[in-house]
Amino acid sequence: MTTVVAGRARTADERTGDPGTAQRPRRTWAPYLFISPFYLLYVLFMLIPIAVSLWLSLTEWVGLGTPHWVGLRNYRNLLTDISFHRALGNTAVFVLVAVCVVVPLALLIAQALNTRGLRARDLWRTAYFVPIVVSPILVALIFGLLFDRQFGLINSILRALFGTGGVDWLGDPSLAKVSIALVMLWRWTGYLTVFFLAGLQNVPRELYEAAALDGAGRVRTFTTVTLPALKPVTAFVVVTSFIGAAQIFEEPYLLTGGGPAESTLSVTMFIYRAAFQRQQFGYAAAAAVVLFVLVFGLSQLFNRLLGIGRASA
Amino acid sequence: MTRTRIPLYGTLVLLLLAFLAPLLWALSGSFKPRGDIFAYPPRLLPDPFTLDNYQRLLSGQPFWRWFLMSTVVALVATTVSVFVCALAGYGFAKFRFAGRRLLFGVMFSSLSVPFAVILVPLFVILVKSGLGSPWFALIVPWVAPAFGIFMMQQYIVQSVPDSVLEAARIDGASEFGIFRTIVLPLLRPSLGALAVWQFLQSYNSFLWPLVLVSDSSQYTLPLGLQTLFVSEQRQYDLVLAGAVIAVVPAVALFVVLRKQLLEGLSTGAVKG
Repeated sequence: MTTVVAGRARTADERTGDPGTAQRPRRTWAPYLFISPFYLLYVLFMLIPIAVSLWLSLTEWVGLGTPHWVGLRNYRNLLTDISFHRALGNTAVFVLVAVCVVVPLALLIAQALNTRGLRARDLWRTAYFVPIVVSPILVALIFGLLFDRQFGLINSILRALFGTGGVDWLGDPSLAKVSIALVMLWRWTGYLTVFFLAGLQNVPRELYEAAALDGAGRVRTFTTVTLPALKPVTAFVVVTSFIGAAQIFEEPYLLTGGGPAESTLSVTMFIYRAAFQRQQFGYAAAAAVVLFVLVFGLSQLFNRLLGIGRASA
Repeated sequence: MTRTRIPLYGTLVLLLLAFLAPLLWALSGSFKPRGDIFAYPPRLLPDPFTLDNYQRLLSGQPFWRWFLMSTVVALVATTVSVFVCALAGYGFAKFRFAGRRLLFGVMFSSLSVPFAVILVPLFVILVKSGLGSPWFALIVPWVAPAFGIFMMQQYIVQSVPDSVLEAARIDGASEFGIFRTIVLPLLRPSLGALAVWQFLQSYNSFLWPLVLVSDSSQYTLPLGLQTLFVSEQRQYDLVLAGAVIAVVPAVALFVVLRKQLLEGLSTGAVKG
């Protein structure tokens, strides 16, 4: 993330020109004072906790008394913990759903909303965004109503149409994953659409006109004009949804409790369960460090890749 | 012309239904007696229509206390964070200083730190140091979101001209004075966007209150409703009514300030 944004911030400065400040850097404490509240909170509530997490991960602790140093034992245990493997696998599935299904769908919807002369654009955009505004507890209730095995709305409709319902949406291990994916789709698509739509509206009309003059069809215009112009937005959206999905908690916790048979257990749920239901604080911290390394590392990598693509474009 | 648009509008309407129908179904359920919520065949209009769920929720549960807790926490967090983000965003947007690029990178990379990493240690630190009170712990650690600072920085670069700042400096205004009297008023639209975003974040947050708040008299709305749902053996009637009331302010706030929010959100990602 750093690389993309550092690059972006630089171009922003260059564009405004900013000659006064560039030629004559003022020696002043003012900027440091302006950013100091953030950094104070950052050190206290992010840096120190991360350091404590690293240290806790090397100990065994039930939350009372003094933590007991165990070296790398927690990490060795994670290596053979089948629940943790499941949590990693499930989380990977959710990440793939977010990046490979939700993001492209959001782009398609944005493309439709960007049609020239579209009526009621604000209405569509606003309505599609509403699910992300809704409290997670209502989301869980809603999908409980929809997915109920006996009398859920979806099964009722299936029964009315095909005479057979009774699909165990939340009780079957693979279907439960599908259900969670559907909830993600419902909650996140409209949110991401907003970013793509703003990106599309920013593409200069002349580019489309030039493509039309060259006789490019719809698909070619999309791949040669739209996609390259959308690269910065896409980078942002992909990384954001990757980070969001990698720490998914509310949907599985409230809807399936991680079940059945841990088929929807996410890494964040695993950490929560270890620390606050089983009092294994050291073990939870070790799992958290693994998640941190994966998410932080992969988002840097994504940026590097998307950044390189952008530089060569 | 209009005929070729039929598939487009048809798709948009179907999507509208997909996104909003589940909400309507929940709303309808909240006006049904417990036994009718899962009745077959399903009925969109409640028959009989009842306010009983709402009455029993409001008379039997400390709903308004949860509501007050959530709202006050969200309002305080929003006010403080908008100020902190505007300050930092201004510092990054309009000054050149040693370490600027590094500090900006550090700030931004904190966006890719998963919350679960600080969940356990932050809980331990706050509780052990006696700062575990919800009034502190639900607010203070969350008032400097990197996303908000980034959004402010992008907006300030675009909309605050350097000439205005230079003129004020020549007039001898102090740096903080310039921020307060010149920059803040120019930022009004994006402050609105950030405020809505931050309010919704705080108002809807679930995992942190779930971990932190153990005293039921200090429950936030999502937490209170979740506990009620579990204690009622996952019966929907009361909780559904509560969730509907809880969602009304969030949706209303969003609909009223949607233009600012949607445009503000995309500023950072798109135009930078």
